[in-house]
Amino acid sequence: MNTVSQEGLLDWAGPILQGALTTLEIAVLAYAIGLVLGLIGASARLSPWAPLRGLATAYSTAVRAVPELLLIILLYYAGSQALTALIHAMGLPGQVAINGFVTAVGVLAFVQGAYMTEVLRGAILAIPKGQLEAADAFGFSTWARFHRIVIPAMLPNALPGMSNLWLILIKDTALISVIGFSELFFTIQQAAASTRAHFLFYAAAGAIYLLMTLTSTALFARLERYVRRGQPAQEEA
Amino acid sequence: MTSSLHATPSASSTLAVEARHLVKRYGDLEVLRDVSLEVPEGSVTSIIGASGSGKSTLLRCLNLLERPNLGELAIADEAIRFDRNPQGDVVGLDRRQLQRLRAKVSMVFQQFNLWPHFTVLGNVTEAPMRVKGLSRRRANALAEHYLERVGMADKRDSYPAYLSGGQQQRVAIARALAMEPRLLLFDEPTSALDPERVSEVLSVIRGLADEGRTMVLVTHEMAFARDVSDQVVFLDRGVVGVAGTPQDVFEDSEHERCRHFVAPAVC
Ligand SMILES: Nc1ncnc2c1ncn2[C@@H]1O[C@H](COP(=O)(O)OP(=O)(O)OP(=O)(O)O)[C@@H](O)[C@H]1O
Ligand SMILES: [Mg+2]
Repeated sequence: MNTVSQEGLLDWAGPILQGALTTLEIAVLAYAIGLVLGLIGASARLSPWAPLRGLATAYSTAVRAVPELLLIILLYYAGSQALTALIHAMGLPGQVAINGFVTAVGVLAFVQGAYMTEVLRGAILAIPKGQLEAADAFGFSTWARFHRIVIPAMLPNALPGMSNLWLILIKDTALISVIGFSELFFTIQQAAASTRAHFLFYAAAGAIYLLMTLTSTALFARLERYVRRGQPAQEEA
Repeated sequence: MTSSLHATPSASSTLAVEARHLVKRYGDLEVLRDVSLEVPEGSVTSIIGASGSGKSTLLRCLNLLERPNLGELAIADEAIRFDRNPQGDVVGLDRRQLQRLRAKVSMVFQQFNLWPHFTVLGNVTEAPMRVKGLSRRRANALAEHYLERVGMADKRDSYPAYLSGGQQQRVAIARALAMEPRLLLFDEPTSALDPERVSEVLSVIRGLADEGRTMVLVTHEMAFARDVSDQVVFLDRGVVGVAGTPQDVFEDSEHERCRHFVAPAVC
């Protein structure tokens, strides 16, 4: 096994990049689905209909109260058991192992949705009432009011929180390694174990995460400038 | 339609607004107590009265931003009767009818309420496109026309936050006009403006009155109300104290509180 000790960063560059790409894919998908869940959750939280409000409150409260690592493990096993049961019920034999990618996206999106619900709810509540009243007075449909007025009016309030959630999400993808799915962190662990160059690989991992978050912070800053295009700059003083 | 400036509304002219026995409560507070109001097509009605007398509430009942508890409303060919079902809920309005009515009645707010994420042009084209389904081209043409009308065409690409209050209010008026409404509502359109900006907005409103548009405005500008209105309604603690021509209300009224209220404007 002499070859093993001669393995270095370069030999692992391919798998690590692949892992990084997978991490990004998981994060982007989970974020997008989480955003939709958050919009639905926030609308439900603000709905005049009490049962809907209750449901959304239960979702955001429960999910935010349980450690994400635990949720990932729980949902992974609960999910595969439920699917196996379903397949047996349909009269088919066999065991189901859920696809790791789908689990990762599903679980992280579910968790994101809960936090996003709260961020968006606050941002919607902060919209000056007159802007919504004007939409009502002109006879906007519920949907037109929502996507033409509510969403663009709340985005300036929501983006800082949304950007924060994105950063947390990128880092949370590392939790997925517990179910043995080879995203960035899992790959790094393998590389470190196999080469024994622990510091080198973990430092490389840190650098990659840093690169991802810095890039996205810059993107969010641009996005924020865009959604605030109608607001005079506040940086005089 | 002939514009009958300063003419007494004749019984034969059709009514843009017919409100009968409106009652509006907030909890135990009865803000409107049996208010009736008729606004003939093509006429200007001003609602005046002390703070808290229910002027805004009455105006907002006319586009159903507030829903009356009791009474009947006929506005722009939509007739609605408010009542209670046996469970005690207010009934008498379905969503479709509400949207139809609101597409025919435009409102100008005290605080302008422009949408800050749209340009001036975007603010004016939004409702015609989303509510009336106009194409962008037609909506743009309409918007250009009405922005020209209020003297704001050169600011079409600005965002509202970069305009003065008077300019924002003129854009808000263009936004209301672009819906080509049957009825225009103004709730204290100049109260949030710097004094030197008031006249630019009033002169736009005066121009609309001269065109024979049907308007109801709540205002504290007594001289303006007197000058521009066909009908003046003095609202007093939730009831119509006096209603009639400007002459009736500003000069000939026997109503004690009305005389007192308009006195500063009369002398
Ligand atoms: N949403 C509401 N909930 C409870 N009370 C309200 C509400 N809106 C208005 N009121 C009360 O109803 C009364 C009439 O209010 P309204 O705004 O119609 O008065 P107004 O004549 O327009 O006064 P102003 O000249 O100050 O604008 C006031 O006592 C006000 O406090
Ligand atoms: Mg008022």
